[in-house]
Amino acid sequence: MTHLTVAMRYLEGRAVASVLTAVSIALGVALVIATSLLSRGIKQSFVEGTTDYGLVVGAKGSPTQLVLNVVFRLASPTPNILFGTYETLRDDARVDVAVPVAMGDAFHGFRYVATTRDYFAAFPWRRKTFTVATGRLFRDDALDDPGYEAVVGADAARVAGLKVGDRFYEGEEMAEYPLTVVGILRATRSPDDAAIFFSVPSYWAMNEIARKMPQKPLTAVLVRAKKMSDLPALHRELNVSADTQAVFPSAILLTIFNLLGLADQVLRIVLAIVAVVVLLYVFLSMWSATLARRREIATMRALGASRVTILMLVLLESCAISFIGGAVGVVVGHAVAYVGAHLLAGRGFVTDPFAIGALQPAVFAGVVLLGVAAALVPAVLAYRTDVAEHLAPLS
Amino acid sequence: MPSGDTPAITVRGVTKSFPLGDGRTLPVLDVEHLTFAAGSCTVVKGRSGSGKTTLLNLIAGVSLPTTGAITVHDVNITALPEAERDRFRAQHVGYVFQTYNLLSAFSALENVMLAMMFAGAVPARDRRRRATDLLQRLGLGPRLSHKPHRLSRGEAQRVAIARALANDARVILADEPCASLDARTARDVLAEFLAVARDPGRTLIVVSHDDVMLESADHVLDMAMINRVPSSLPVVESVR
Ligand SMILES: Nc1ncnc2c1ncn2[C@@H]1O[C@H](COP(=O)(O)OP(=O)(O)O)[C@@H](O)[C@H]1O
Ligand SMILES: [Mg+2]
Repeated sequence: MTHLTVAMRYLEGRAVASVLTAVSIALGVALVIATSLLSRGIKQSFVEGTTDYGLVVGAKGSPTQLVLNVVFRLASPTPNILFGTYETLRDDARVDVAVPVAMGDAFHGFRYVATTRDYFAAFPWRRKTFTVATGRLFRDDALDDPGYEAVVGADAARVAGLKVGDRFYEGEEMAEYPLTVVGILRATRSPDDAAIFFSVPSYWAMNEIARKMPQKPLTAVLVRAKKMSDLPALHRELNVSADTQAVFPSAILLTIFNLLGLADQVLRIVLAIVAVVVLLYVFLSMWSATLARRREIATMRALGASRVTILMLVLLESCAISFIGGAVGVVVGHAVAYVGAHLLAGRGFVTDPFAIGALQPAVFAGVVLLGVAAALVPAVLAYRTDVAEHLAPLS
Repeated sequence: MPSGDTPAITVRGVTKSFPLGDGRTLPVLDVEHLTFAAGSCTVVKGRSGSGKTTLLNLIAGVSLPTTGAITVHDVNITALPEAERDRFRAQHVGYVFQTYNLLSAFSALENVMLAMMFAGAVPARDRRRRATDLLQRLGLGPRLSHKPHRLSRGEAQRVAIARALANDARVILADEPCASLDARTARDVLAEFLAVARDPGRTLIVVSHDDVMLESADHVLDMAMINRVPSSLPVVESVR
């Protein structure tokens, strides 16, 4: 028998109350762990997604929407720009690489992204690398010769069950223009895993509206300048035009982070609520336990237990229950984050539900400390229990 | 008056009164001088409310006298700081309460071992064996792992006795240990208590009105003779 076994035995003795308290602690901890893991992952995805290209050129409108749509495929589609904009940028001396992007329909929810092979090229400045897992990249078609070759992102291929050689289309009206899978990409842990790529001419041929347009459309052009110092001038010139706007993705990143700052605030509020709930639950549970136990406390004192021993027993008991609740909460939190990560992956976010860092020990230690703090007042109540008065009913 | 060559316990000029909350106090005990010889067995008797429990609580150091001093084996326990009094009690005084007061979350065996844990006198590795041994001597061999709610009253009181003896204390106090048992069980339990507890090195003070106890005691103390506070003051009634 040790003091810890005594505390544990008391926890067992009021199993229902103990389980309820532990569960409430576990839920709180799980909430905190899951939210922070997921929000951290979302932030990370944004950082990685936005930084390869210096400029995104698209139709006039909300800059944030343009970046969210083109880079993360999140927001609703933005209006078109003309293919000519791409050609001008491609031929501009200051531009190192310009990549056209046209986005339209989807197959089984996986967005169609029409572009060129440059989209996948391994430029030395790129943080992101594309590798073909099976097959090859699509052919860069001549403008009037669509090849209908598709390269499929890893998640899209897995979920939609596409293999090299498969022909597919969505909707009867598209049956005339089936795409053929020529390659499957290796996972990039980015929104591109949930996309289906093919050439811009294929897109124009498949899209009914585009077919009829004399001037062919694009959604955006991704631009990499040769020199960073040329970026502001390019940015200015493109924004002067009535139809196009140029956006620094890094500036949008700031906007998004401000939004995520809001999420941080929400997280902070969640944390505060959880802390209060844990405090209240442990306090109430230990308070009522101590009141119900005054005679046993008096008995232990009469057996020679010191006041400090009684105090420690109460603290130890609440420490044990917070420890159990906290440990379960950390595990459940990761499970929730795991499920959340799967849901987010469908939206192109990559989060690591098992990222281990300062978070887990901090939350765990925090909840144990909180549990002990909540038991301080009940512990003092136990400490002050008068022995003779509670030892026996008066004769 | 109980007396011996070397008194194990001396009660000197002890009074105890309880505050009534309205500013007045209720006098309960006033004992001029009392000694208990080492190794003796004293039975204390007296009507309800005559201060028997109060006296045992004072000797155990569970509460402090309003005035006066109590010495147990040459230690003036009334002068000890509380923590030391707790430690002294844990090691030197075994107490069987008026009601069993077993700890409900713990088995019979654990109840006995807990007393050893609080005292710390018996080495941890010997506790289980010693507790088992004591309970077996009280006929509880088959009940070691029973929680208190699964014990009969007689069995529960035997566990309480084993617990009081757990640390081999030199002073054993028992407050009407068998008051809630039927007459036959009470006799059996008391006889076993005496058989296990009586020892030349141990001083017993037992509050009891049972013939078995009265017959085998070295001394019988009547509260009416030693307590100068009459046991039925009108103010007592108004408190109840
Ligand atoms: N904590 C207390 N507060 C007020 N009165 C008390 C308290 N403890 C005991 N008494 C009173 O002291 C008197 C003696 O009590 P007690 O020692 O328990 O008597 P006995 O054990 O002889 O029946 C009783 O009248 C009781 O009401
Ligand atoms: Mg009494």
